[in-house]
Amino acid sequence: MNRNSRNIILAILLMAVAPHSSVAQDVLLKGGTVLTVSQGTLQNTDVLIEDGVISSIGRGLRAPRGVETVDVSGKFVMPGIIDAHSHIALSSVNEGSSPVTAEVRMEDVTNPYHLGIYRALAGGVTTSHIMHGSANVIGGQNETIKHRWGATDPDAIRFEGAPRTIKFALGENPTRVHGRRGSGGTGAIVPATRMGVEQVLRDAFENGKRYMEDWDAFNASTDPRAIPPVYNERLEVMADILRGDVLVHCHSYRADEILMLTRVLKDYGVSKITFQHANEAFKVAPELAEYGAMASVFSDWWSYKFEVYYSTAFNAAILTRNGVVTSINSDSGELNRHLYHEAAKSQRYGDLTDDETLALITINPAIQLGIQDRVGSLEVGKDGDVAVFSAHPLSVYAIAEMTYVDGVKYFDRNEDRDDMRMLVSPSANLDTYIEQETGRHDIHEVIIK
Amino acid sequence: MYIRTGSRVLALLLATLGLAQAAHAQNDSPDIPSVTGTWALQNVRIVQAPGRVIDSGTVVLRNGVITAVGRRVDIPYDARIMDGGDSLTVVAGFIDALSNVGVPEPARQNNLPAISDRSNPPNDRAGIQPERDVRDMLDPTHDSVDAYRKLGFTAAQVVPHGGMLPGTGAVVLLDASGMRYGDPTVQFMEFEGARGMYPGTPMGIMAKMRQLYRESERRMRIEALYADNPAGLSRPVEDPVHDAFFPVISGDRPLLIHTTDALEVRRAYDMQAALGFSMMLSGLSGGFDVMDAIKTAGTPVALTLAVPEKADWMEKVKDDSLASILENYDPDVRTATFRDTEAERRNLEALQLQSRQKFLAMPAGFATAGIDFAFTSYGVKTKDIAANIQAFMAEGLSSDDALAALTTHAAAFIGVSDVMGSIDTGKMANLTLVTGDLFSKDMKVRTVFVDGRPTHYTP
Repeated sequence: MNRNSRNIILAILLMAVAPHSSVAQDVLLKGGTVLTVSQGTLQNTDVLIEDGVISSIGRGLRAPRGVETVDVSGKFVMPGIIDAHSHIALSSVNEGSSPVTAEVRMEDVTNPYHLGIYRALAGGVTTSHIMHGSANVIGGQNETIKHRWGATDPDAIRFEGAPRTIKFALGENPTRVHGRRGSGGTGAIVPATRMGVEQVLRDAFENGKRYMEDWDAFNASTDPRAIPPVYNERLEVMADILRGDVLVHCHSYRADEILMLTRVLKDYGVSKITFQHANEAFKVAPELAEYGAMASVFSDWWSYKFEVYYSTAFNAAILTRNGVVTSINSDSGELNRHLYHEAAKSQRYGDLTDDETLALITINPAIQLGIQDRVGSLEVGKDGDVAVFSAHPLSVYAIAEMTYVDGVKYFDRNEDRDDMRMLVSPSANLDTYIEQETGRHDIHEVIIK
Repeated sequence: MYIRTGSRVLALLLATLGLAQAAHAQNDSPDIPSVTGTWALQNVRIVQAPGRVIDSGTVVLRNGVITAVGRRVDIPYDARIMDGGDSLTVVAGFIDALSNVGVPEPARQNNLPAISDRSNPPNDRAGIQPERDVRDMLDPTHDSVDAYRKLGFTAAQVVPHGGMLPGTGAVVLLDASGMRYGDPTVQFMEFEGARGMYPGTPMGIMAKMRQLYRESERRMRIEALYADNPAGLSRPVEDPVHDAFFPVISGDRPLLIHTTDALEVRRAYDMQAALGFSMMLSGLSGGFDVMDAIKTAGTPVALTLAVPEKADWMEKVKDDSLASILENYDPDVRTATFRDTEAERRNLEALQLQSRQKFLAMPAGFATAGIDFAFTSYGVKTKDIAANIQAFMAEGLSSDDALAALTTHAAAFIGVSDVMGSIDTGKMANLTLVTGDLFSKDMKVRTVFVDGRPTHYTP
């Protein structure tokens, strides 16, 4: 390689690794229509973000010395969208070899190189709850991330201080994966039915409870020669759920299984539960509200398997009007780019107000993830995670134009190159999209929704 | 005691016929004792260590030990002499920091019984065999031993074939009469999931490691209590898998983790932070993004000798036209799908090429950052090794840094710096003799000495 081509390589390198710093920044967004979600809509209003945190919202704000001012007049400024159910930015999704794998963590396989992060930013999404798949009844601990595109260290995209959450799954997926292996033949184990799913849950909680009691007794013992109980990484997590340290997010569809889980959780004193998908949740909305359970649903996606036929586009509205904290999620690296559109569909069907509708993709998912003190609305003191739209985000004409996380602009439609990947596989076949996307020649893992 | 041989005649023979045939004759029948254990390599260029060169000198070996090195050295009366005729370079024998050389791959077992519960398979089926010792698996007559010697390797750290925990590694000499050298060095681990059973994914492997390690810590505590005074205590539970972790937990044996990308390196550090073992890393393909973390932690590293496979289109393009492909990169292309796909393709090619160069430039990058590294051939085809080193050097790796990665730094990585890695008096007589510039296309390995004995090949 001659010097000239080296310089070109250097130039390409500098472009490929965008100059995004994970360090929080300052910015003044001037003159937009500000959709705060929690405090109504403010016309011709400025939002000042300092050191990554919203420091001021009002008219005629002045940018402190050295702080960039961005003119957003004619545009709509809303809180960064939060996706409560996603599988982007993961190296693996299902440890599908066992009905209970509470011990596995998406934290361990967070993949900051995944282009899905940038695509989500292009839809105004600033935070995703990246989840284990639904192959197992108890599938593993999820991770809440911020879309700080450009970071290569997985730690740099974690939502610092977000509560721990865990994925449960009911119904057809776990019974198919474990109970119907080889048509119920070799290797088939419990659960093969919905009854079996409940039993797997009760066994796991019962074992976790005994485990917790054994260790509590050991820790309380004053005998220096006391023998510590057997260590079990899986039951450690079950015990943490029983202690209330881990929020449960459960893949579910049918009303009967939704009620089943609330009964099981009640028996074990677990109160924090969000039902994911929950297409039949509308049937048991009062019961969910009474239990304090929450729901994260699709606007109008169903009929992709038998248990998802009984569905309605009024689901989100019925749940909302019954006092259930409800969000609209994507569960998809495509759908997450138009969650604002999905929310608008729920409004179109169910007659929700603008704020109720925007809450479905902002403050409500924040509540479900336990991060509502940090994000989900535009308020002084909250994180500078902001999406700027060309029109009202619930309009079909709205286009996401800029997306900020911690005051740092990670997406700008005007600076959106053809190829935004951080790592391009040197070996992949150019003609194969999947290979370019993942760098793998074979896709072994199938994400189970 | 020693018989003086016709050393001058031998030297003449070497000069005329080349080294190969001469020593080949000497080593034909391993059953017959050598005439002498003393060798003098004279009129050779001696690279004692990277940057330490004697342009023309002599190395004397006696019974497997280097006894003299210098410009002018007295040649013992009983030495067989190899005369380099000033065209031969002697370097310390290459060391492979991690390898399967001399460890035959077990035959695939087709008729294994079905696993009744894949959520809880037997340890050996899940690849959890940390109790195995690679020294029980060595085959000095295995083809790979000679193949590595032909490349100039004289010693290696080897590990068993296996899954996530294949067993303990050890240093071996590439010596046909016996390879074992010393005690187990490391507990070896890789992110290799069990197929169709638990743990099958990187996250499952991470969780299983935490489980095994923490339960082993508990068992160690109980054993200590029991050893102190067994009265009134139940017999401690024992099994070889957990016992194998004891030396790791006590800090007597590092965990060597093989990684195949930057994210696996991050995972290794996460595990170390959670469990607190002493760690070494190998592989690190694409490790340019974790250089800072490695430098800060000071973790010993062995970089892979593999380079990424070329994309199909690269195979068809001549090397000298690659530069123009890079020059054709147009950052302003914003292609509507299915419109100007040619412009998009040109950019993709440029980005793939740039990515490949980033991988090839990684060893040079580590050297520039001041991180000492060894090289490992683990998972690399022997036929690719020489060409891959040349590719690293084309992207900036110096010959000295390449040599260090195969000698001094490799010796440090496997814990044998006191006996291997440089040509110094008192060290083991592991030497590699080459003609041509080190690591250049013209370099030919003429012979290697392993533990003082030469091995020869037809040039």
